[in-house]
Amino acid sequence: MKTTMISLALALALAAASASAADPFVPKGMPAYGPDKPLPVPEIARKTLENGLVVWVMPRRGGNPKVDFVLAVRGGKAADPVDRPGMSSLLADLLVEGTPTRSSARIAEELQALGASLAANAGNDGISLSASGLASGATALARLVADVARNASFPQDELALAKGNALQALKAAEAEPDYQAGRALDEVVYGDHPYARTRPTEASINGTDRAALVAAHAARFRPDHALLVVAGPLTAEQGFTLAGEAFGTWKGTGKALADTPAPPSVRPLRHVFIERAGSVQSAVRIGRPAFAAGSDDEIAATIANAVLGGDFSSRLSRVLREEKGYTYGAYSGFGANRAGGVFAAEADVRNEVTGDAVAEFRKQMQSLVDMPVEAEELTRAKRSTAGIYLFRNQLQGAVAGSLANGWLLGRPPEYLGEFVGRTNKVSAAQVQAIARKYFDPAGLSIVVVGDKAVADQLAPFGSFSTKAK
Amino acid sequence: MKRRFDAWILALALPLSAAATAADKDRWELPVASRTLDNGLTVVVSEDHSSPTIGVSVVYHVGMRLEPKGRTGFAHLFEHLMFQGTPEAPKGVFDRVISGGGGFNNGSTRGDYTNYIETAPVSALEPILWLEADRMKTLDFSAGNLKNQQEVVKEEIRVNVKNKPYGVFFWDGLNALAFSKWENSHDGYGSFTDLDSAKLDDVRAFHRDFYGPNNAVIAIAGDVKAADVFALAEKYFGGIARRPVPKGTDVGEPLNTKEKREKQTDALAQVPAFAAGWKMPARGSADHAPMAVLAQLLVGDTAARLYQGLVKGREQLLNIEGGLNWPLGDAWDFDGPTQFVLFGLYKPDVSMDAVLDAVDEEIARVAKDGVDATTLARVKTKMVADYYNGLDAFILRADALAKARMLWGDANAVNRVPGWIEAVGADDLKRVAARYLVPTNRVAIDRVPAPAAPATDKK
Repeated sequence: MKTTMISLALALALAAASASAADPFVPKGMPAYGPDKPLPVPEIARKTLENGLVVWVMPRRGGNPKVDFVLAVRGGKAADPVDRPGMSSLLADLLVEGTPTRSSARIAEELQALGASLAANAGNDGISLSASGLASGATALARLVADVARNASFPQDELALAKGNALQALKAAEAEPDYQAGRALDEVVYGDHPYARTRPTEASINGTDRAALVAAHAARFRPDHALLVVAGPLTAEQGFTLAGEAFGTWKGTGKALADTPAPPSVRPLRHVFIERAGSVQSAVRIGRPAFAAGSDDEIAATIANAVLGGDFSSRLSRVLREEKGYTYGAYSGFGANRAGGVFAAEADVRNEVTGDAVAEFRKQMQSLVDMPVEAEELTRAKRSTAGIYLFRNQLQGAVAGSLANGWLLGRPPEYLGEFVGRTNKVSAAQVQAIARKYFDPAGLSIVVVGDKAVADQLAPFGSFSTKAK
Repeated sequence: MKRRFDAWILALALPLSAAATAADKDRWELPVASRTLDNGLTVVVSEDHSSPTIGVSVVYHVGMRLEPKGRTGFAHLFEHLMFQGTPEAPKGVFDRVISGGGGFNNGSTRGDYTNYIETAPVSALEPILWLEADRMKTLDFSAGNLKNQQEVVKEEIRVNVKNKPYGVFFWDGLNALAFSKWENSHDGYGSFTDLDSAKLDDVRAFHRDFYGPNNAVIAIAGDVKAADVFALAEKYFGGIARRPVPKGTDVGEPLNTKEKREKQTDALAQVPAFAAGWKMPARGSADHAPMAVLAQLLVGDTAARLYQGLVKGREQLLNIEGGLNWPLGDAWDFDGPTQFVLFGLYKPDVSMDAVLDAVDEEIARVAKDGVDATTLARVKTKMVADYYNGLDAFILRADALAKARMLWGDANAVNRVPGWIEAVGADDLKRVAARYLVPTNRVAIDRVPAPAAPATDKK
């Protein structure tokens, strides 16, 4: 069994990112940024158990005395049966609701005694079971995570309760403009692809029975399609021992899932207006298909998005919020899944300025298509991106989660440590190429959820359908 | 080092070993250094060299309780204006410098304080200190910026309240019902009329009165040395003169003596909801920590009594959230009167009356029988672990230290909280359950979906 330590000395990473002396926005008397310190890189020890389970251990020292476990398994919402969209959410919720030896209440009490929390989350490409608790209880917590992952029994009474609650929760969610807009945008971007049907319906909740969950659990929870991340005040060997004791005898049964096919990279332009009576704001979402994780575009796209809509100092926030006062927040982002992805920009704006806000979004995007970004703004975007990496790297749980999510997306553990160095190499020409490919208003669909009185304001942007499909 | 030794002595001295918790083995003590400058600004530093980053929090001792009458929402509007530039650093510079330094920032307004927080690589420390000192001195009091942020704040209220099912009735609605003094009961988000009425003179006066160095604490956690930070604080803030702070009024209130219930309709919601609040003991009183532990026992996690009793068990609720000083703070970061709050969506075949009866049954169990030692030990273990998790990120750690210094008079209160939790016994829980969580001290709101309103053409 081979153990590898990844510890690349990446002092080069921030070298390209010192503050620009020519920055026209530096006030007189304000001190310059100090010298950058070397960028820390997560040290990850790797090992594959004999049953195929990949284990990554990240030893940490000092600070909060806690241990984190994340078990990621392939097969998420995109793997749900066509007639049971969103079933993965019920599957994830019910994992912690009982095993042959532990009732739901007992699981909750054991977690409490360990100062721990445990939750399963279903994403498009997999399910992550995340546990975090006091370090002294690491062994007991590892056993609990393993029992839940391996032996979840989906008790009938818990399933009935979860289904009843899911039906009401769906009703509550459908009253939210953000939920309605997100659902419509997914349909516009992904069409008939599984990534478009990740939300439950009344029929899919009612139609989910115990047999379906047991079968899905068997197909997805198997060591040869899973990763365990262990992080905390322990050595790599201690982490491997914990993993081996809790998961070493785990065996997969049945057939593993097929991979999700790639969605089309281009979709017909489709604008959608969803009426929500009495809305005092319009939820504006503008988006298109983008790329899968691992694409050649993704590093440059990170920087391009930092310029357009990543934070308070990005263009969308500066103009739509700080200049125009249209919104509390205007943002944009790329969302990469394992097989395909999305670019989307969003803001909730008061009814009267709905059309003006859409026009302003398009104008800001067009300007990145037409003009290369200046050096000062590019440098700021890179330093901001590096800073976010550093911030997340502070937090053991965040790093463990990023590693597990990255694995579900097909990324190697080196990805995190190499990320900043790669973003620092992005040029203005690359940013403009990304803008031409993904920000061009001519290729962006528009979704608006709002009162019908605002529909007239959308006329200049083309015809709007009242349904996403 | 010394404190850990004290805790060990204490553990030997008190016969609490039956209830020994896992937390005993997992102690985490933050290093705390503190200094007050001549102008009254207190500087707190907590070193942590595990990451080349910092968290910064500047907390001012003014919040929604102290905003002027006829100016509801002003403390929050003012918080927004703190990001709108100064004569030295015009609008936009603040965000650009922090973002360009690899950081991000935010601010929030609460009843008793307003905080401004940043996190960044340590290389951005000095520009951040310069920016914070710059806006403590004065602002760019501009009509255009005021107008812009009046619009932005109204959009914030639309997105979080007016266009959202349930809005924040579990906060503003309960406060209006529970409290009798205007300072505690008014809507801290503000009416649109009051927000629109705000004048530049109001902004100038608020900055002058409440944003001086002697009404502030700055805390920095992360990859710094305390002595260096004290020197930098002196360099950037030392020249700012102290300013007189208006004397506040007494905002204290007694417990309520008669239950109040209200029914509200919600044109946007599809599922009924309830919220309930009970007035709480004063911060730092003998009943405070017991009440905090009781809140954890009742609603702290999925093992909690109300989750197991009402979401599971009786199957009345879809979910339950809440806590002491929820939703705008935690059990330790308040000063004036606050509530223990519950909020949940309930099922169509259930009524709020039935939900509150069930809540009362669970509370009565504690008031009558207390809690067994095993349960109490694991509740406290989880509570301490949660508390530590809240201090993990440098930005939140700095904020907790600054708030502790301001509200408790001692940044080291952050290190004392675990001990306060450990010291709570079953009899304490019985006492506070019977004293505070009684129907006469309660307010409750039943929020039910309204039938769809007829369409209107009114512009």
